[in-house]
Amino acid sequence: GDSWGIFTFLCAALCNLPALPALNCSEELGAGQSIQQTYDLTRYLEHQLRTLAGTYLNYLGPPFNEPDFNPPRLARAERVPSATVDLDLWRGLTDNARLAANYRAYSRLLCYLRVLDGQVGTAELRHRLAHFCASLQGLVLSIGGVMSSLGYPLPAGPAGPPAPPGAPVAPNDFLKKMDDFWLLKELQTWLWRSAKDFNRLKKKVPPAVVTLRLEARGF
Amino acid sequence: DSHIQYERVGADVTMKCGSMDWDAAVTWTANGTDIDESHLNGSYLILKNVDLSQSGQYSCYEGSSWHLKYQTYLRVGTPPKEPVLMCRSNNYPKGFYCSWHLPTPTYIPNSFNISVIHGTKDMVCEKDAIPKNRCHIRYLQLFSTVKYKVTLTVTNALGKNFTTLTFDEFAIVKPDPPESVVAKPVPNNPRRLEVSWQNPSSWPDPESFPLKFFLRYRPLILDQWQHVELSDGTSHTITDAYAGKEYIIQVAAKDNDIGTWSDWSVAVHATPWTEEPKHLTTEAQITETTSASTSSFMAPPTTKICDKGAVVGSGAMAVCWTAGLVVAAYSVLFI
Repeated sequence: GDSWGIFTFLCAALCNLPALPALNCSEELGAGQSIQQTYDLTRYLEHQLRTLAGTYLNYLGPPFNEPDFNPPRLARAERVPSATVDLDLWRGLTDNARLAANYRAYSRLLCYLRVLDGQVGTAELRHRLAHFCASLQGLVLSIGGVMSSLGYPLPAGPAGPPAPPGAPVAPNDFLKKMDDFWLLKELQTWLWRSAKDFNRLKKKVPPAVVTLRLEARGF
Repeated sequence: DSHIQYERVGADVTMKCGSMDWDAAVTWTANGTDIDESHLNGSYLILKNVDLSQSGQYSCYEGSSWHLKYQTYLRVGTPPKEPVLMCRSNNYPKGFYCSWHLPTPTYIPNSFNISVIHGTKDMVCEKDAIPKNRCHIRYLQLFSTVKYKVTLTVTNALGKNFTTLTFDEFAIVKPDPPESVVAKPVPNNPRRLEVSWQNPSSWPDPESFPLKFFLRYRPLILDQWQHVELSDGTSHTITDAYAGKEYIIQVAAKDNDIGTWSDWSVAVHATPWTEEPKHLTTEAQITETTSASTSSFMAPPTTKICDKGAVVGSGAMAVCWTAGLVVAAYSVLFI
């Protein structure tokens, strides 16, 4: 009822907010520890998603909940940011680019998920989705925190309106379900990728780096 | 002329003597041995319900001139059953390999054709020289949401069969077991064993794709394993080994985040350090040969330091334990 409306509004508001002042904590702890926390968050979310996706795909019904379901990627699915990347390109990403890619992806995925939340049928699913959205929001903030503590600017306008203007709404029920299917798949793949992204960052950003930056800023 | 003929096990085979007429007089041989006339229908050789032992060279000679008129090599076999296919990535993120075999032999030559489709793209699986029934693929992209579909077709002269595998990039990640597992006793520590190992050499990038490990150990005399999971490092010290017992130890590896555990490594055996018992023999000799008042209840001269971790019971140890408790009590007072 009303509480869901308020909650959705709050989520939308947060969607457009840059990283919150909780950054002070991460600066004190050191970027190294924030990266570890972000890594842990991605693992937690991946675990949560497994249950959520199972429930959601069952709600969509066959063939979406069949383990062998392997549909071709339709052009319309390209709106959802893809984790897929060329191996050498991925290896060569700068820390800034790596973090920014994650930040942008999860910000947009979060918004798409919230649209889903508004449309979903059962109370159990709404509850699970809301919980997942909250955790995902935490991840976005956490990534933002790492970026700020390393002195990187946050990507501009991380979350536009859920559907870019001019993009077609799904013309029928089946295609709508396909959109949902790909959203969950991309989310899952991004969480797998992030674990690897943050592994790399962990190795490359020891806590000592943050101390140097603080000194440079005259702290 | 000569050629090869493939026939199914249990089939009835009729061999004609080349262009000779049905009523010509001929002699058939199998691997050089004459074949009895009862198997002939005119000049045709009839083999009923053939079995594997009937594979061989069959020759037909004209009756009087003994000219070789026809020769064929008969190979008896079966059409292929559904092949067994397995794909695995032990070198993530470089790529993966697929290997296959037939569940039962066909006894005749088979050819294998493998196709890999990723979404709409056809990929080439490069065949390995050794082993033969294996091919490998390099990933062009990482973190793909689209599944891979691998189809293996087996064909031989008597038929064909196929099988298909569909999987996600992450699902098939399974490293090789850890290498160079070494277990050593720790001097002066009767309950410890130091275990160390190395990343499998096939894992190309442990820096960016770290492995975690699972260690299991048990004394040979017990069936129950103890387990330890280690999220980093390639060594571990077991601190609860039973003194003096031989242990069997194995390690397995897994990518930190995705895929499945490797098979267990080669097992290593080790026994924790035990004290040399030779001083007891000396004591016994002394008490036997002399009626001296040297107390046999005193701590043996070789035990200079009390080992707090010792489990082996002995009268001398009671003295050590008490001393240890006193020291502990003092240190608590001083903290």
